[in-house]
Amino acid sequence: MRKFQRITNEKSKEPTKEQLVRYKDFASLSHKYERLAKRPKRPLYKDPKLFLLLLIIGLMFLLVFLES
Amino acid sequence: MFKKKTHTAFNEAQQIELAQKDHRHFGPLYERYFEQMFRFIFKRLGGNEEVAGDLVQQCFMKAMANITKYEDRGLPFSAWLYRIAQNEVNMFFRSEKKNYTVEISDRQLYSILEENGEGSVRQEDLDQLIEIINNLDETQTDLIELRFFQELSFKEIADIYQISEANAKMRIYRLLEKINTNWKRES
Repeated sequence: MRKFQRITNEKSKEPTKEQLVRYKDFASLSHKYERLAKRPKRPLYKDPKLFLLLLIIGLMFLLVFLES
Repeated sequence: MFKKKTHTAFNEAQQIELAQKDHRHFGPLYERYFEQMFRFIFKRLGGNEEVAGDLVQQCFMKAMANITKYEDRGLPFSAWLYRIAQNEVNMFFRSEKKNYTVEISDRQLYSILEENGEGSVRQEDLDQLIEIINNLDETQTDLIELRFFQELSFKEIADIYQISEANAKMRIYRLLEKINTNWKRES
């Protein structure tokens, strides 16, 4: 919750040039965004279909390896 | 011998369209609006630099994630960004367990009283006015803050709330009437 408080002496509430420069960073923002956007929406262990598919592929490879 | 490289100047609508296709093209929009958004958030937080830095990044992150949903309805793009920033700041205030204090100067309070037609004001009256504002609900406080503390025009407020300018004026004047009534009742 926000509450307003009265002050008699007026301080400048405008950010300085240095403050603006310090926080302006599109490269970092873009990097963070990519990291978030590329993260798979559902982890592998929570997706039974994909998990089963990978398990079958793994088993097939194992069988082929054992046969040979 | 070498052809002079020509730079194509994109207008805002084209930049938005490009950013909708690929988020990496969001850069020019970020460059254009960063300062405006930082100032807005910084002032709303009463000058808290670190939190303002976090919230402005959060605001642009949301803008990037949702730019595909953005539709040009004749309002400036900044109004859409202001709306996101407004929500971010309000979410921050709500998440604060203790009351977050924003300092307001007497000059800003006088502007409300001037609008209400009050001439001579005592110091106690200003304390009383602050108390009345603190007792308003969130939406009402936001309107007072945007108009008198952020000093936005009616048009800008209307764009943020996606209402007409006349409606914005009406809401604020009704609110001032309410403040006036409470003020007279208490004094």
